[in-house]
Amino acid sequence: MSSTGKEAVTRVDRRAAAAQGRAQGLDIGWTVFSYLIAGMLAYGAIGWLIGRAVRVALLFPIGMLIGLAISIGFIIYRYGKQGAVDAASPEGDDR
Amino acid sequence: MTGDVQVVAAPATMKGAAEVGGGCHIRSGCGYPSPGLDSFNFRPLFTIGSFQFTKPMLIAVICVIIVIAFFWAAFAKPKLVPRGVQNLGEIGILAVRDQILRPSLGKRGDSYLPFLVALFFYIWVMNLMELIPLFQFPAMSRIGFVWPLVFLVYFLYLYVGFKNQGFPGYIKNMIPWDVPKFVLIILIPIELLRFFVVQPFTLGVRLFANMFAGHLLLLIFTLATWYLATVSVSLLFAAGSFVMVIFVTLLELLIDLLQAFIFTTLTAVYIASSLEAAH
Repeated sequence: MSSTGKEAVTRVDRRAAAAQGRAQGLDIGWTVFSYLIAGMLAYGAIGWLIGRAVRVALLFPIGMLIGLAISIGFIIYRYGKQGAVDAASPEGDDR
Repeated sequence: MTGDVQVVAAPATMKGAAEVGGGCHIRSGCGYPSPGLDSFNFRPLFTIGSFQFTKPMLIAVICVIIVIAFFWAAFAKPKLVPRGVQNLGEIGILAVRDQILRPSLGKRGDSYLPFLVALFFYIWVMNLMELIPLFQFPAMSRIGFVWPLVFLVYFLYLYVGFKNQGFPGYIKNMIPWDVPKFVLIILIPIELLRFFVVQPFTLGVRLFANMFAGHLLLLIFTLATWYLATVSVSLLFAAGSFVMVIFVTLLELLIDLLQAFIFTTLTAVYIASSLEAAH
């Protein structure tokens, strides 16, 4: 292959890698955001239900905070490590 | 439904800035007509029985026609060497394939290309309607236009997931098994809620909120430009506001494309996660 041909192939590869990076970044960014919301919602709901049963209204905000803490902890566990972002994405040769 | 077509009021399709604000001007003493939720409600163009046909619906129908007509014109009689509209159509399809589909789904996802192309161009054209004179309204800023798309995507990726991984397998693959057992119990409610509720919810609300906010911003500065335009020092503020109109218009031009891109990319990512386990 000529050097111009090789350059063109590299350029296409680079573009494909950039597109893949964008898609991965969007996915991870919104997954992280979804975890934060889901954590607050799930444990907020559990806190609210228990609070309703035992008549302690404070359990609702406490549940939300606990949910948020769990979410943040899990996000750090999953995406906080070096190279964890690559490991979290599915493998495949053709992408 | 009786089928009677009854024209109720004068067409409310072309609501100009002055009409939205009731023609209020700083000299008329009626105060700044701040735009709000009312700016997103339209009088029906006509009613058929109890069904009211409004401007956003008209925009949605026109957008569908535009997208279909464009791709029809491009590919009704395809040539080996593309020319004219076919060239544009191919650029559009290849852009969606290389920038949205392939990075997430790879070559095995090419069967989803028609769906993603239709989704991307429909959302993009719908968003662009906020900047096109006479239309000047993004139908996606009415959340009722967003939910059908979200449900379409939601049920599609659930169906693909159940079909490819089986119901138990799909649910099993959602759970992050690599964490310690006691953490797993804590995580399961979050993970299920994230997947079944928050993920589709954010997909829809993101598009809606961006279009809603963009239209509101444009209205605020357009109305302010008219409101403040007098031969006095307030002309400076009017000019400043006009500069903001241009800036926000350019920004919206970018956001319209970006939101269509994000919606379609995340659709591709969700379909990819349904095709194979992500964890």
